[in-house]
Amino acid sequence: MISDDPPGFDLDAHIDLDFNTVDSTELPEVEAEITLLLHENGLELDKQIDNFVVCRDDGRLVGCAGFDRYVIKDVAVAPGLHGNAVSLRLGSAVTKLAADHGYHDLFLYCRPDNVQRFRGWAFHPLVEIPGVIALMENNPVALPKYLEKLSREHHPGKTIGGVVLNANPFTLGHRFLVEKAANDCDWLHVFVVKEEAAQFSYADRFRLVVEGVADIGNVTVHHGSKYIISRATFPGYFLKEKAKIESSFTGLDLLMFRERIAPALGINRRYVGTEPLDATTNSYNASMKYWLADAPSTAAPIATVMIERLAVGGAPVSASKVRALLDERDFSAIKRLVPSTTLAFLKPQAIPAGDRKQGDW
Amino acid sequence: MDIVNSSVAGTLESGDLLVKVSPSEDGTITVHIESEVIKQFGRRIRSTVMETIEALSISAATVVVADKGALDCVVRARVQAALLRGAGAKDLNWQVL
Repeated sequence: MISDDPPGFDLDAHIDLDFNTVDSTELPEVEAEITLLLHENGLELDKQIDNFVVCRDDGRLVGCAGFDRYVIKDVAVAPGLHGNAVSLRLGSAVTKLAADHGYHDLFLYCRPDNVQRFRGWAFHPLVEIPGVIALMENNPVALPKYLEKLSREHHPGKTIGGVVLNANPFTLGHRFLVEKAANDCDWLHVFVVKEEAAQFSYADRFRLVVEGVADIGNVTVHHGSKYIISRATFPGYFLKEKAKIESSFTGLDLLMFRERIAPALGINRRYVGTEPLDATTNSYNASMKYWLADAPSTAAPIATVMIERLAVGGAPVSASKVRALLDERDFSAIKRLVPSTTLAFLKPQAIPAGDRKQGDW
Repeated sequence: MDIVNSSVAGTLESGDLLVKVSPSEDGTITVHIESEVIKQFGRRIRSTVMETIEALSISAATVVVADKGALDCVVRARVQAALLRGAGAKDLNWQVL
């Protein structure tokens, strides 16, 4: 086989590179160095990173890549070493480290002008906001398979709706939204957020949605995926401090929905409940109309339909309220906010608030 | 042999290839190949990958190859390594390999 670079011959082979992992406890020692390298590449240090792979040439930091579980970001190589040798070896190290942590299917954030470089890392572009940010993944068969599975549930009709729920847990508020939307549509597709960051497991959340909407005829409940509100498409949703949300991230998730998910099912409307309580969800909803319809895109626009959130006793019904009441074991109050299927699930779940691990929400 | 884990083998460097193996969701063999020399050698790489899969009697797997101009023997070795890792194999019959 003939190639430009015969095996074993490499112009940059004289560079003796060391690769190491830096976890979050060790990060303060090298933070200044990493920040400088990122700045040289026009990047900022992302706070949501568990581990860095750092690459040194004779002690000098020449490359880095950050991990948030299966999502890679903050990849930088020292200016002057942008040849393939450093970058490709960094890519190999990143793939190997992720595999050691059990993550094989990876996502990556980069500036759109670097997409070509990361193709060399065997990543494929998924969606991009021109001039701002691109999302790539290294499994070229996963999305086509997911979309193929979805498209088997394609239903004909003029008005096809989509709803995305976290349902942590499923409440009468979710039920109200689905019912209203289903009434309005020929068919409604409901997606349950798959990421395991919620208080209740994905399996439980999914089952309660299925049970909670079982009597509505024109609804399909779909498994979520890493392509709908996940750590990859919308990292801000899973951040602890939820005040500051990058609008570009909500843009990626919504463009992904518009360009990839919706066409598989013919979805032309997205339904969403008004959000008076949660700042992240509220900002996501506010930008929905722009990204699904007005933003430049090759995909057809999708109309956003806001539905006033169900209120019980003058207060909006929310899953976070239900979780707070569960901590107090106030089942008479919970009963007014959830369907009987969710109530039956919650009763055995009540554990004293002090015993629950903090941090999940 | 059955593929029970996801696994990787190889590197992205010139003359090598990166192979990712994962369990099949639908009980079939899916092979996806990218190569800088796909036009010249794509068919050859594919047949080498398929032969390696068959030699290990694997009937279901997803195999993703990112080739950087590797020689056939390198392709074979990396695909074998990824498959054996994915199968969690301990007792190997080296003769069939």
